[in-house]
Amino acid sequence: MARYGMALDYKSCINCRACESACKAENGVLPGRDNYRIWVGQKEIEGQFPKLSISSLTYQPSQCQHCDNAPCQQVCPTNATYYDENGVVRVNPEQCILCTYCINACPYDARYIDDRTVTVDKCNFCSDTRLANGETTTACQATCPTKVRTFGDLDDPNSDISKLLEKREYKQIKEHLGTKPKLFYLL
Amino acid sequence: MNLSIKNLITFKKTPLNLLVAVIGALLLAAFVAGAVMYFLHGHHAFNVTRQHPWGLLIAMYVFFVVSSTGLCIISSIGHVFGVKEFQQIGKRAIAGAIITILSGFAVIALEIGHPITMLIYNVLTPGLTSAIWWMGTLYGIYLCFILLEFFFLTIKVDHKWSKIFGIGGLLAGLAAHSNLGAVFGFLISRPTANGVFYPVYFILSAMITGCYLIYIIYGFKYRNNYPDHLKAMFLKLNKILGMLLGILIFFEAWKILTALYGTMPERAETIMYAVTSPNFLIGELLLGMLIPFFIILFTNGQAIKPMVYASLTGMIGIFFMRYDLVHDTLVYPMTMLKRSEYQLPPTLLHYFPSPTEMMIGFGGIGITILGLYVAEKVFNLDPDPEH
Amino acid sequence: MKVEISRRRFLQGSVALTVAGGVSMTPASVLASAAKVEDIGKTKIVATLCEMCVNKCAVYAHVKNGIIKKLDPNPYFPKSRNMLCPRGNSGLASIYDEDRLKYPLIRDGEKGSGKFRRATWDEAYAYIGEKLTKILDEEKDNRSTVAFCAGEGMAEHTFKNFYTGFGSAHFLNHASLCLATTVSGYSLTIGGYGQSDLENANYVIMAGANRAEAIVTPDTMDFFKRTKGRGAKLVTVDPRFTNTAAKSDKWLGINVGTDLAFVLALTYVVLKEGIYNKDFVEKHFNDFETYKNHVISNGYTPEWAEKITGINADDIYEVARDFMKHAPQSIYYQGRRTTWSKNDFQLRRAQAIFSALGGGIDIKGGICFGKKIPMEGHEVPSPIYDQSEPRIDSTEAAVVGGSGTWVGFRNKVLEGRAEYPIRALFNYKHNPMQNMPNSKKTEEFLKKLDLVVTIDTMPSDTVMLSDVILPECTYLERTDPAKVYGGIEPAIVQRNKVVDPMYESKPIIDIMRGLTEKISKPLFEITKKYDEEVQDAIKEDGEEATYEEFDLTLAFKQTQEELNHHAVSKHPGAAESLHEKGVFYPNMDKWFKKINVNEYEYYPESEKAYSVRNGKFKTPSGKIECNLSSLTKRGIDAMPTWKKEYEMVIPDGQFRFVTGRHAQFTQSGTANNKMLLDLVPTNYLWINKRVAARMGIKFGDELEVASSVGKTRIKAYPTEKIGLDTVFFIHGFGNYSEELTLAHNNGGRDSNIIEDSIEPMHGATCLHDTIVEIRKV
Repeated sequence: MARYGMALDYKSCINCRACESACKAENGVLPGRDNYRIWVGQKEIEGQFPKLSISSLTYQPSQCQHCDNAPCQQVCPTNATYYDENGVVRVNPEQCILCTYCINACPYDARYIDDRTVTVDKCNFCSDTRLANGETTTACQATCPTKVRTFGDLDDPNSDISKLLEKREYKQIKEHLGTKPKLFYLL
Repeated sequence: MNLSIKNLITFKKTPLNLLVAVIGALLLAAFVAGAVMYFLHGHHAFNVTRQHPWGLLIAMYVFFVVSSTGLCIISSIGHVFGVKEFQQIGKRAIAGAIITILSGFAVIALEIGHPITMLIYNVLTPGLTSAIWWMGTLYGIYLCFILLEFFFLTIKVDHKWSKIFGIGGLLAGLAAHSNLGAVFGFLISRPTANGVFYPVYFILSAMITGCYLIYIIYGFKYRNNYPDHLKAMFLKLNKILGMLLGILIFFEAWKILTALYGTMPERAETIMYAVTSPNFLIGELLLGMLIPFFIILFTNGQAIKPMVYASLTGMIGIFFMRYDLVHDTLVYPMTMLKRSEYQLPPTLLHYFPSPTEMMIGFGGIGITILGLYVAEKVFNLDPDPEH
Repeated sequence: MKVEISRRRFLQGSVALTVAGGVSMTPASVLASAAKVEDIGKTKIVATLCEMCVNKCAVYAHVKNGIIKKLDPNPYFPKSRNMLCPRGNSGLASIYDEDRLKYPLIRDGEKGSGKFRRATWDEAYAYIGEKLTKILDEEKDNRSTVAFCAGEGMAEHTFKNFYTGFGSAHFLNHASLCLATTVSGYSLTIGGYGQSDLENANYVIMAGANRAEAIVTPDTMDFFKRTKGRGAKLVTVDPRFTNTAAKSDKWLGINVGTDLAFVLALTYVVLKEGIYNKDFVEKHFNDFETYKNHVISNGYTPEWAEKITGINADDIYEVARDFMKHAPQSIYYQGRRTTWSKNDFQLRRAQAIFSALGGGIDIKGGICFGKKIPMEGHEVPSPIYDQSEPRIDSTEAAVVGGSGTWVGFRNKVLEGRAEYPIRALFNYKHNPMQNMPNSKKTEEFLKKLDLVVTIDTMPSDTVMLSDVILPECTYLERTDPAKVYGGIEPAIVQRNKVVDPMYESKPIIDIMRGLTEKISKPLFEITKKYDEEVQDAIKEDGEEATYEEFDLTLAFKQTQEELNHHAVSKHPGAAESLHEKGVFYPNMDKWFKKINVNEYEYYPESEKAYSVRNGKFKTPSGKIECNLSSLTKRGIDAMPTWKKEYEMVIPDGQFRFVTGRHAQFTQSGTANNKMLLDLVPTNYLWINKRVAARMGIKFGDELEVASSVGKTRIKAYPTEKIGLDTVFFIHGFGNYSEELTLAHNNGGRDSNIIEDSIEPMHGATCLHDTIVEIRKV
């Protein structure tokens, strides 16, 4: 069985946020301030005009890290949050009681309340939409102008993502928490 | 037991009784109104956000179950551990424990999005690694035990069974309550909450809350005019409370110092924010700890009437402890990156409860007042004569 | 059908090039409507092209039960490189925008009152016909009394066929508000605007161009995969710190409007130090010595430029030397929306010459000219009307081209200086109320006209000031003319209809067909009345034969599908490929390859058209033109020269205003898009943080921005990304139209405050020459 992850060549990100609108359109995420599965983070630039630090302003596209050791999954009282057999961390809205404990527990701010189902929602690598239709890319990856994202099977040594991670160094976010995230930020 | 309607609606129309009646009625009305708002607008009626998903209702739930556990623990001093002076408060304390936890459940039922789903999937697909699952399940067991305990104390008096269920209730309550602490303690993403502190602190603060509530309940019932057997109990309670407050202050001091030491990012900033806020300084520290503590300290534990009033400030302090527990845990955002060009860089989060949250949260106190009143009317909560 | 070239049109030469010429040997499969509602529940995928901006990216539309569910990138188009930006994704909110124009409307109240009555298409056509014949009768068939303007788009040409047949001298479009200066600056200097080969360039100066936000394909996608130490060095020169600046190796925060001094100083360094590409200069430069002497004798030193530009002399030396070190794979990027200030044309000339000094022209990694794929033309009548007068705006600048000087034209009419009255305007999807500076004047101009006919999809500010509104369907509801995109990797593309037009909207070709059928004959009657040449011709050839030349309906006889099929009829399989994939280029089936999950190869390296000129550039001398002495008699400097008047003094407490783009919006066209507003709800004024603090302005404060021509209100965004004396906000917001429920009064409107001055070469607008005051409200 596959084990899905995503590599992000984040230095290519131009902060156009196409991924956000593609994600919303693909997965029917409602408009609204708090309603988003993915986002692009940026720091406030350092320095004073015209001496500004270019390196202080990088764009960090982000979403659920699909941790192998997911705090959100551990804290769920009804196992509504579960690991899919392909390693994708998912929420079953049937079982979700909306205690929002998982939102508190997620170190990445990757979860929010979906007003359609009134349950907790998050990125699921387009499991219900694209993957279910047999596609092999996520909406955010496919639409990206500078091709930041590479989604694929970490267990398949011939997948593009495996080849990338073999060659390139990467960093992960808050890995000191022991979450074992499956998003890899290529350096 | 006296279940007649007449008995239920007649009470002495003293100014204090009337005041409490009016406050109770208003709070109950607020709860109902808040519930209606919630059913109309769902979570949008609350000021909770994606970054700050818990708010006043969680704080009030904790407040109620801490009260319940506290009353259970204090009552157990008498009828579980056999300390004579405390045996007389057993029934009333257990009644209070039942009523406060039901108030808590009423509040949390309006916070949890799908309480019915919870009842089903708690059983079908239990999340055994979830502190909420353990807390909820143990509190369910706890409620059963103290209900039975109360049954064998008042309706079908049987000291053997009341003691058995008393012990069961105490153990379940302690377990449930420390698990409630663990709900926060297990949050690896929140460095100020993560760790051993909260599960232990919760038991400690529950005991303190129990003491305060005993003062208030008996202070109200006896209008500060106590028979000797109660005075003896209060003098002991003073000592216990003094010691507990001392320990709490000691705990808090070290929690703060260790969090600030070395200025670890996130953790130190959060605690700095927490301890410099008026909520902490006035609410938790002054009202919740120092006033009662110093009264006990300076009167050598002899003051009873002042302690009744100090317990009122104490309970306000306890409320702020619960409120800050939730807010301070969540105040540091999980990402400090801007998500859009046009926003200020993220800072510590702002949260203030919405009117609906206040109506439901504080309205829960109305349920407690009503419950205590009904319990007083229906049951004989004073010691049995042969005792 | 074959239209004979008449004597008359032969005289007129090739004014009208134009597509089409109906052939109906088309296979039914190709002609079949792409929008047929498929079996319920099944998803149908239609290949089409985006129209949310000018790039025309290839799209796959997923249709279920007749509703478009999702737009995805279509990988086949080499230019769009398998991607869709946020606007491309938000096309869904464009077709399903509830505020869309739904049926024809005729004004029913004062102009500007917003009162319209619903009309049938026939009523609307009849109304236009009536008004037009009256106007032309009164103006004695001076066709130029009716002006035509159009927004950029694949079907602009269809509308232009109407203009050509109509015989007016006045066509106006975005060029003079956008890229006129850079296109001509590069063309007159190196023989073409070209395409920067950002897939292979090693050193790029982007000045004022903001490719991370103002996305241009394939530049944006090719380049930002290679910046940040991954092959390409980027120097961004911009008065604000853009997303492009964030991707660069060096960012130079230049004073607004002083880029020419910067380029001249770069040129000075390489000439003085002799580090230019001597071989290239010797072979390909015309009048090099004159230019060299000009630059050196004028003392355009980095030290001199430092005082004007605010950029350290050391940085200028470094950039000049680095540029030449990496040459010829070095590019001074052309830029696109370059209407900034008075010296703009000269600035583009200086950039082109500087780029050429490195030899990076018509070479891999430099500015390339690329190839086209031939398509079949389609002739349409382009009659000559003897009573038709020449353009009125040609006096407003040195060289006024076929798309005019919009501001020059408008102002001349308003100031009563026009040689004859301008009485009507046909407007296709253009929004001069928003895109031209000084809205007050535009409003006055539109109100002054007797007839304004606007064809559009949305009730824009201009639509609201029109007399007749004809609702076009959106790009997802129509097939547009197939078009070739030349370049290093050329391709023909075609927008295919995805679903049937909603409401009563129609594609432009249907509108033109309906309108011309109604008005062609009556208009010819006017010509007959006043045009002696026509009267003679009728005597000679008979009325029917003469009318054939003036028959406006001929250009719109065929369907768009038929026209497209004919246009690619010389390429086997092209029509099918355009229908199925939206894209065609020779050998596509052989060459198109998937490289990895994200990327595709379109042409093998050896087939890419990097070098096509064979040492002969498309300039009068066949060389890089340093010295255009022919321009001096029109009052234009023959060589880029810095003038004292270019140095604008910004009074204390005031600011110089600049405008621009974010990746989430295309000017005013997307201002009502729900999905995009979800990403960025409104525009904000960038003001320096320290200045804002001094003025007591905090984030989100409501400000009034005022200039000599008007004011607007906008929220504040204090940031260090902009200089102390500059303010900025993006264009397209603060719409007047109440029919745009989301865009109405949302944010600041730059067209209210920008002063309407034009530069001397093409009469292009100076969008960055306005001084503003700011106060908190």
